[in-house]
Amino acid sequence: MALIEVNNLGVTYRVLMNKSTSLKELFRDAIKGKARVVDYVALQDVSFTVNKGEVLAILGRNGAGKSTLLKVLAGVLPATKGTSKVSGGIAPMIELGAGFHPEMTGAENVLFYSVLMGRDAKRVKSRIAEIGEWAGVSDHMDFPLRTFSSGMVARLAFSTATDETADILLIDEVLSVGDSEFQEKSKERIMKMIANGAAVILVSHSPGTVKELADRAIWLEDGKVKMEGPAALVADAYEAH
Amino acid sequence: MKYTQLIRLLVNRELTLRYKRSVIGIGWTLLNPMLTSLVLWYVFSFVFAAKLPSGQQFAPYLMAGILLNTFFSQGLMTSAESIASNGGVLTKIYVPPQVFAISAALAGFVNFLIGFIPLAVVVYVSGQTISLTFPLAFLVGIFLTLFVAGLGLSISILFIRFDDTRNIVAVILLIMMYLTPIFYPVSILNETMQNVVHWNPLTSYLEIFRWAFSNNATPTMFSWVYMIVSSMLALLLGIYNFKKYWPRTVAIL
Repeated sequence: MALIEVNNLGVTYRVLMNKSTSLKELFRDAIKGKARVVDYVALQDVSFTVNKGEVLAILGRNGAGKSTLLKVLAGVLPATKGTSKVSGGIAPMIELGAGFHPEMTGAENVLFYSVLMGRDAKRVKSRIAEIGEWAGVSDHMDFPLRTFSSGMVARLAFSTATDETADILLIDEVLSVGDSEFQEKSKERIMKMIANGAAVILVSHSPGTVKELADRAIWLEDGKVKMEGPAALVADAYEAH
Repeated sequence: MKYTQLIRLLVNRELTLRYKRSVIGIGWTLLNPMLTSLVLWYVFSFVFAAKLPSGQQFAPYLMAGILLNTFFSQGLMTSAESIASNGGVLTKIYVPPQVFAISAALAGFVNFLIGFIPLAVVVYVSGQTISLTFPLAFLVGIFLTLFVAGLGLSISILFIRFDDTRNIVAVILLIMMYLTPIFYPVSILNETMQNVVHWNPLTSYLEIFRWAFSNNATPTMFSWVYMIVSSMLALLLGIYNFKKYWPRTVAIL
């Protein structure tokens, strides 16, 4: 069963050249005829489907359109062409810890972050202790986040984001959080979700991770699909490139 | 509603975070309008108090004005700013951005309600009593919340696109403050200025608020119609503008 269906997806950003970010500049440029609007194509003609329990990796250099693609799937950015259909609950694991505030305690941040992701506040409250423990920051949960080390923040964010399983996981380079022990633990947790039937889109720079976790892969270049196929094949081609 | 829990958390965060590192915390919400009122009262009472119609008191007149104006200007600024400042969240997790603007306006409303306590004290100290129409003061707050949220939604788009709209809005808010009869009676103005003040929507909200709280003003039918129409119009326009311009704006967030 296809949980993610993307058809001829295209995203075009309308970029104002010479970037007038103040009204004065905009007027000046408009008068001089300099306010040129340029269309920047971030994604073009991308199509794929991801089934239940399947892992699709997206490979590509910086600026190839990987993040744009994830944003469209997360429902954050509207597509300008084509369609993307996502059926089920999404766990967006894109730069974890969005909405974390340094002045709020660990527990408050976990609650806020979870509710942002659409979880029920009451249920989250009963899970906070366990989320903190899994992240290895139990003793710190009642202190402001600014007293946490950056590693602790990252572990807490990962623990919160993956506390509930979802139908669809969008993973952007988040498996490199923490020390190697924590990385093993996180990988295990994600694998368990996949085994339970989640559809996964994994964005990665590392061909090794892709070969290990993904079934299929797409190689994006300049917003277009350069290669698509079995993960190992695409990863090797990408590496050789 | 699906986003009630999130709105509650956001309002809570807005109210507590501002005073997180202060000793008396949310107590500032009580102290702030009282101190401002005290200063303005000291400066203006002997000039303007006698100019109010008989039966009206200057101290509650002033404080009601300050409470309402703080709600409007602070609420509008935070509401318009909320979407830009939460860009980090909005580009990663799907949440309707309107939720942030509405929560900021609601936080302003809660601050306004907290201000009812010192206002009630001032009302009694100055020899007035709270009217039976008191519940209508809440209604004014609700209409002002919608007004603020609507304007905030429209302006939030501009805030993201152009850095200098913040300064422009700050100046407009200052002008609006002086064109609202907060610390002066309308009667001291000449006819032209009276007309300008009359057409400032905030004047209508304020007149009704003063009247509802302690019968300290005489709103007309116009005030009521203008309050309701302006809040509905601002809200509809805000929702429309936001829907229309957001898809293009999110790309630059």
